[in-house]
Amino acid sequence: MDKRVTLKIARITRETELINTYTFKHNLGARPGQFIMLTDFEGGEKPFSIADCHADEFSITVKKVGEFTTRLFEKQEGDFLSIRGPYGSSFFISNQKVLLVGGGYGTPPLYYLARTLLDVGADVTVVNGARTKEDLVFCDRFRHLGVRYQSITQDGSLGQEGTSVDLARNLLKSEHFDFVYAAGPEMMMKALMSELADYEYEFLFERYMKCAIGICGNCTVDPIGIRLCVEGPVMPKKYVVQLTEFGRYHRDATGKRIEF
Amino acid sequence: MHNRLQTKFSGVTVDSPLVLPAGVMGMSYSGMSYSAVHGAGVITSKSLTLQPRTGHKGPVMAGFEGGFLNCMGLCNPGIQDGLREVNDFKERSDTPVIVSVFATNMDDFLQLTHHVNESAGDFLELNLSCPNVFDEFGIPLAASAEEVGRIVGAVKGISKKPVIAKLSPNVYDIVSIACAAQDAGADGLCMINTVGPGMLIDTKMVKPVLHNKFGGLSGPCIKPIALKLVYQTSSAIDIPILGMGGVTYGNDAVEMWMAGAQIIGVGTAIYYRGIEVFNMINQEILAYLDEMGYETINDIPRLEPIL
Repeated sequence: MDKRVTLKIARITRETELINTYTFKHNLGARPGQFIMLTDFEGGEKPFSIADCHADEFSITVKKVGEFTTRLFEKQEGDFLSIRGPYGSSFFISNQKVLLVGGGYGTPPLYYLARTLLDVGADVTVVNGARTKEDLVFCDRFRHLGVRYQSITQDGSLGQEGTSVDLARNLLKSEHFDFVYAAGPEMMMKALMSELADYEYEFLFERYMKCAIGICGNCTVDPIGIRLCVEGPVMPKKYVVQLTEFGRYHRDATGKRIEF
Repeated sequence: MHNRLQTKFSGVTVDSPLVLPAGVMGMSYSGMSYSAVHGAGVITSKSLTLQPRTGHKGPVMAGFEGGFLNCMGLCNPGIQDGLREVNDFKERSDTPVIVSVFATNMDDFLQLTHHVNESAGDFLELNLSCPNVFDEFGIPLAASAEEVGRIVGAVKGISKKPVIAKLSPNVYDIVSIACAAQDAGADGLCMINTVGPGMLIDTKMVKPVLHNKFGGLSGPCIKPIALKLVYQTSSAIDIPILGMGGVTYGNDAVEMWMAGAQIIGVGTAIYYRGIEVFNMINQEILAYLDEMGYETINDIPRLEPIL
């Protein structure tokens, strides 16, 4: 049965002015890459990737982007929110040398992935990019985790100017990686894909979701029709290379195709 | 090879009696393809309206022990973009498509019919019975035999496709409404739409779970209601029925056939058994044919009608 649980917010962590992490005391049992649907019952229910998950708690990281997330930013620790999930596919867990490429507020699910990869003995490198240093999240967390870590911003507010794809490109030139993971803006992943012809990889996708249980069809991707809420949101290379809509369009709440 | 599941609905041959119903996976051409490659013999589009609709705010889906409530709210990209998805699907597949349309008045239904006439769709389904837009549109048309007859008759006058009327179970006398649709020239009926509506409550936040408060009920718990209404209706009319409501296993599909359905919708079961549910039920029907010694699905007997 599709189960809903209503939980108190145990902890709110301010990441940047526009990005918060919400932690809940609950044994969610999610795997890296999976997501939950979250609502405050005031209108709107949205998917959020799991940023971290332990036996007794899990967290999600939220950027204030619209009406719904603005209401979340008004919540206090101890307030209730309601969730269902976890849903969707999860990342392949490699124990070899791997590269994780994150962009903006898409990066947090890579934290749970990195921690899980380290647990099985993988050699983990993380590159993290954002528009400005104010948009860059989880730097300290990745550093404390003990992975090899590099970050970069497009405006050079941390020194070097560029994107996480630039960092990845440089690393891929000089080193061999057994597996590459990415989560972030779709155009970032599209740019990264062209660097990865010879690599195995998985990307974390985002699409408008409604039912989240594989029935409504709002998050099917063209041309194969797999559902991002069931077969995704983590998609392996064998699917990614088939997607004609990747980096071109997505569907909005009406189902209309919207170009990126 | 001889296809033992092949049957006919209103003159159109279908390779499997299983139908993807409106509102399930039919938003995009690729969602239709994904359902067809997994064994659906007929595909229904999302119910299309003249203008795009975003539908209700979430939560739009709520599960409980016996099934689900949903209040999608007729989200759809509008008739033009919706038919583009239908046409894109038909370019890639021979699977028959039912184009479902929703409107609240005669003019809109007629305009929608003109659009569908120009599409690659095989059937036109009139959704007269969406249970999730009461606030916006009031009592559904399907509650009135007179209204159903009036709209079906007018649409039949201009439609180039066979016309299916989708009926609501949430009425006092569905048989009289079905008869009105038949008398007005409907080529088939689709029944039942979701039941209720019903509601669920979050006891910690003291809120209805669905943002729309109420939603139509689907899933295994509605099967007995669907069987009863299909049986009553099929006893009283001659046009074929697309029967649906809680069908999850092959035996449910056989029950629906025995009650009088010619083809059979499978929707919420996708949650319980995955998108593979169509192929699974196809196989389960074949196993039933073998067990009972029937050559094809068309040999499965019907219940004695109610006299």
